Amino acid sequence: MIKNFIIFNTLLIISIFSFNARAAEKLALVIGTWAEGPLTPFVEKFTADTGIEVDIQTFPFRDLLATLEVRGNAKADDIDAIFVDAPLVPSYAVRGMVAPMDSYFADASINDIFAPAGVSAASWNGEMYAPPLNNSGQILYYNKDLLAKAGCAEPSAIESERITWEEVVDCAKNITDESAGTWGMIFDQVSRYYQLQALPESLGGGSGVCEGGLSVKGCLTNDGWMKAAQWYYDIHNTWNISPKGANPDQTHEMFGAGKIGIFVGGNWNVGRWKDSDLNFGIALHPYFEGGKVVTGCNSWHMGVWNHSKQKDAAAKLVRYLTASPEVALAYVDEHSSLPAHKSGILHVSEDPKFDNFPNNAMKLATYESANHCITRGRTPAFLEFEEIVNTSFEDIRNGGDPAAVLQDAETRIESSMRRYK
Amino acid sequence: MSTNFFRRQWIVPYLFLAPALIATVAFKLYPIFIGLWESFIYTSFGGGVEKRVFVWLENYQYLFADPLFWQSLKITGILTILINPIQISLSLGLALLLMRKSKYIRIIRSLFLLPVGVALPIATVVWGLMLDPYQGLVNGFIGLFGIPPQPFLVSEDQALWSIIVIATWKGVAFWMLFLLAGLEDIPKQLYEASKIDGAKPFQNFRFITLPLLKRSILFVLVADTATNFVLMVPMIILTKGGPMQSTNVLVYEAYRSGFYYQDWGRSLSITTLLTLISLIIIGFQLFFLGEKRDEKK
Repeated sequence: MIKNFIIFNTLLIISIFSFNARAAEKLALVIGTWAEGPLTPFVEKFTADTGIEVDIQTFPFRDLLATLEVRGNAKADDIDAIFVDAPLVPSYAVRGMVAPMDSYFADASINDIFAPAGVSAASWNGEMYAPPLNNSGQILYYNKDLLAKAGCAEPSAIESERITWEEVVDCAKNITDESAGTWGMIFDQVSRYYQLQALPESLGGGSGVCEGGLSVKGCLTNDGWMKAAQWYYDIHNTWNISPKGANPDQTHEMFGAGKIGIFVGGNWNVGRWKDSDLNFGIALHPYFEGGKVVTGCNSWHMGVWNHSKQKDAAAKLVRYLTASPEVALAYVDEHSSLPAHKSGILHVSEDPKFDNFPNNAMKLATYESANHCITRGRTPAFLEFEEIVNTSFEDIRNGGDPAAVLQDAETRIESSMRRYK
Repeated sequence: MSTNFFRRQWIVPYLFLAPALIATVAFKLYPIFIGLWESFIYTSFGGGVEKRVFVWLENYQYLFADPLFWQSLKITGILTILINPIQISLSLGLALLLMRKSKYIRIIRSLFLLPVGVALPIATVVWGLMLDPYQGLVNGFIGLFGIPPQPFLVSEDQALWSIIVIATWKGVAFWMLFLLAGLEDIPKQLYEASKIDGAKPFQNFRFITLPLLKRSILFVLVADTATNFVLMVPMIILTKGGPMQSTNVLVYEAYRSGFYYQDWGRSLSITTLLTLISLIIIGFQLFFLGEKRDEKK
């Protein structure tokens, strides 16, 4: 019995210390859960063409970032190619999590393959680290019935008739009816920097990050940011035209349920409602009167894990998935994802299926992204910056004093940036 | 050789203890040691080069100079002072109620145990929906009594209380189990004797139940305190430490520093301090509430 006991213990210990072992020759590709469907056939094709086997590991958005951070901190060599959120390229590059990829694109000009916004987001300090897989664009969705009931004119998809935030607020005030549970407006990714950066940018406040990416002093508390923060406070607390509490997973459901008049969100939302009974329309992204026309953009990029022992094979896979026209077109058609690849952009602008509602949302978002794209603040401290800015927006939404909240955020971000100076 | 080896009887208990001891060292003591060691390391990325420098207590100095740390410590203190007495009182009350004789007592006990079977993240999400300020069930319910809608999780004043409600709903039945077991252990003859002496229910509780339940209460107090010290699931899922840092407890600040900001020096300094603080509190609890040696006869 004791012998069995010792054998059991030995096996237990061996299994504990060997659970992390993996087949060395198989590439580990870490991607977002949402991309598994569209990418898997192409990963299989890559394996068939090259003989390189790939193990796809998928994670939801937040878990994906956390997993990469933990593996990066451990300098783990058990992953080879990864998804990179566009604004995190500088952070991953500076911390040695992704390998430079210029040499893997030496035979081609990346400017010929990708749109300029994607190329710019893929690079840091003059080197290209993570080519773009797709892009994103923000547009305005409106509930035709609620707008008609409130006597609002429908927002336009024509540039010269682009709606202003002031007009949005006026209309939203007429739509809001707390007793009926209807609200004038809501942001898709409420309280998230990605979506709300357009507010201070439109007011001339910039991205919040100062030149060089290593400071926010005066850049997060300038007039543009203060006015934008006050406006965000007002829609939730003074004018009460946008609900508190709802998180980004709920906002599209509220619009889909006919409870929201104006919804400002990503192009991908159109797929949620196009087959429903919701009577909705789409229009260009709003801007502040007299301010700049700007919209959020950029999306997911792919990079080679710097601690990988199979960088060449991983780079082949990354290049195939990002730079191949066939993958780009499939990603547009099957995932309703905005293209970063030039052939994808051409496809959206030329294919007649994108001319009519609701598929024209792709064309509208492509237009916004190509002409009014604002890249998120470029800083190696983006993880800290984004989290603090997001919680600050949420505090303002919940009634915090905008000026005090921004001042506090600036101090905290400035302090966290000391590690990168 | 092996026969002689196993004939040494003294070694057998150690062999049986070995898995637990190995697991304790590997999964408890080793991480604590690593955490302490890494809290002395400062990692910087200036000029794109990663530098790890042993800085002794510099991370702690930065921490003590950071108002956010003191705010977190304050919130942790408030949460600890509020949640533990509430949970233990309710657990004890519930245990006493469920000791009553009834035909349906087993069914009623099972009903109260249901929340124990629900995973905390799921309970948190469901409570988050119920506490929604506009469409939540709770506001609908209190509206029946003419109470105006409350902001709950989006209010600086109510968010921590809302989290206490969630954690208590989830935890109270679990702690009740231990107290129920302790109550079952109290000899019935003592209550019969006190009844003959004409003792009132409160006197029974004060002079029989409480003293004889002391060991169970002490265990629940220590375990509950330790558990609530690392309570952060509702903060991760619902409040992100807000609004206005009002639910930003130390463990969440450590989690945020490590997993969001990758500032492991700061994160592990906080967890080291948290371990130290919880050891001190639990030490006090054991010292003041534990049995004296001469009581143990």
